[in-house]
Amino acid sequence: MATSTLSSSRTAAAQNQRWKRLRKQLPNYLFILPHFFFFSVFLLYPIFRGLQISLYDWKIMLKDQAFIGLANYQALLQDKIFWQTLSNTAYFTALTVVMNVLLALFVATGLKHPFIGSNFLRVLFYAPGILSVSVLGIIGIRVWDTQIGILNYFITTMLGGPRIAWLGNPDMVIPALAVTTVWWTFGFPMLVFIAGMHNIPEPLYEAAKIDGAGPLQTFRHITLPLLMPTMLFVVVTQFIAHMQVFAQPYIITGGGPGNASRSATMYLYETAWKFFRFGYASSISVVLALIMIVVTVILFTLMRRRTEY
Amino acid sequence: MNQTIVYPERRRLGRYVARSLFLWLCFLPLALIVVVPVLYMISMAFTLEANQMKFPIEWIPNPPTLSNFQKIFVDPQLPIVRWFINSLLVATVGTAIIVFLSSLSGYAFARLEFPGKGFLFSLLIFSLMIPSAVTLIPAFLLLRDLKLLNTYHAIWWPAAASVTGIFLMRQHFFSIPGELEDAARVDGASRFRIYWQICLPLVRGAMVALFIFAFLGLWNDLFWPLIVLSERAALTLPVGLLVIQQGSYIQRGLAFAGAFIASMPVLIFYAIFQRKIIAGIVTAGLAGR
Repeated sequence: MATSTLSSSRTAAAQNQRWKRLRKQLPNYLFILPHFFFFSVFLLYPIFRGLQISLYDWKIMLKDQAFIGLANYQALLQDKIFWQTLSNTAYFTALTVVMNVLLALFVATGLKHPFIGSNFLRVLFYAPGILSVSVLGIIGIRVWDTQIGILNYFITTMLGGPRIAWLGNPDMVIPALAVTTVWWTFGFPMLVFIAGMHNIPEPLYEAAKIDGAGPLQTFRHITLPLLMPTMLFVVVTQFIAHMQVFAQPYIITGGGPGNASRSATMYLYETAWKFFRFGYASSISVVLALIMIVVTVILFTLMRRRTEY
Repeated sequence: MNQTIVYPERRRLGRYVARSLFLWLCFLPLALIVVVPVLYMISMAFTLEANQMKFPIEWIPNPPTLSNFQKIFVDPQLPIVRWFINSLLVATVGTAIIVFLSSLSGYAFARLEFPGKGFLFSLLIFSLMIPSAVTLIPAFLLLRDLKLLNTYHAIWWPAAASVTGIFLMRQHFFSIPGELEDAARVDGASRFRIYWQICLPLVRGAMVALFIFAFLGLWNDLFWPLIVLSERAALTLPVGLLVIQQGSYIQRGLAFAGAFIASMPVLIFYAIFQRKIIAGIVTAGLAGR
């Protein structure tokens, strides 16, 4: 009996102390409260709300929305335009990410060690990224223009070639948009790769040099493997960014010719804000999100495995 | 090491120059590809409407003209000064909100203890996985119900929910030695004062980086403003540029003049503060890792 009162008084004391500590920690919530409020209202709540809206035949003018279960998703499976925009987006993303990574790697390798004007080049190569996508669009229209475009100017005057209808050809339009996007965005992965390369210990390169390894071998066996964590970061962030491409096709091609360059986000935007079918648009966004999450996870596991050695 | 002793300094300098020349040769085409379209935009902004369609391209405006700018500034349907002010307000205030809230939360997650900390933090990480496509429609409907469409609030407050800044600030608050806080606590400083007067000044670099990163994001953003702003007077510059470029305004020179007005301030800023901006972009851009 004596021991039990002792232990109960001890637990009471412990409880008291825990309560005291909690009371002391309670004001700490005030630090995260402001952000958490907006985070809940504009990020957490919309995620669940979006899932819910996708189950309704949601029209913006109506007072009572009709619950239709999974009908939006069933319609989506049959929607040829949706699948085309999805495959357009995947093609665009694959092209853009691959070109961005290759170009950024190439440039970063060259700019890694300083030379006369190397800083100028680094600043210059990032500069397009400072421009708004609207400016990119206004320039892009004229770069690819068939009649008066910059590219066709060089092709006709310097190479004596014929005018090419870059944006009028369904097979050419997505590569053209991808090249435009690479022009705009390769600077960021370049900066990240340069930073990553500077983190590779120099003695490794010296050892390779002593062993008689050439520049290509050094790149293949030292730079590339040790750059894998950086690569993972770049590929994943680039993938997420370019899968949501909207403005480049919206401004430069309007999605055309036909639907050849319409992106999934553009289709989502038009469904919601042109045709006001918010329920259907929500189901598009949910499917798009699911695909992106699955691919991101696959990318992570694939590249993690290659990182660990 | 031996080489530097054996070979004279001049030889090394020669190799440096040779390497520089070689790399310039490699990168010159790319540099031209980057520069030419921007020069073209500048040139076209000062080219008469009648000469816009000339082919072969007239690279140097003949005669150079300000008529495109005059047309924009005179047209009441294109209140570009208003758009410029809108963009400036949206970006500066929005960025200030992001930096302040991120530093508060980042500080709490790095230096303070509270129940549920781990869970709340993993919630933030989880949200990085969610593409913004899902939140667009519900956030838009919410702002509509709150009657906040076509106001600055429609951009500021959703921006306040962004999480990457928190990771950045948290990383930097971690590196502050705990003794500093302990000393302040012994002196009887309140939690908020420790954060504000001791810790915040020590992470100034990260705050500048976040400021640059967030400012550029808000200044250049098109998609969200396009959704929540529709009245002419409420637009930001990127959306305004679309109005000039599309619709009844198919005058080519106007679009280039507008693009010039929108991009020159940031390009000049970038040229002046390039070192700080690039360092900031790398620091802040890598924070989500």
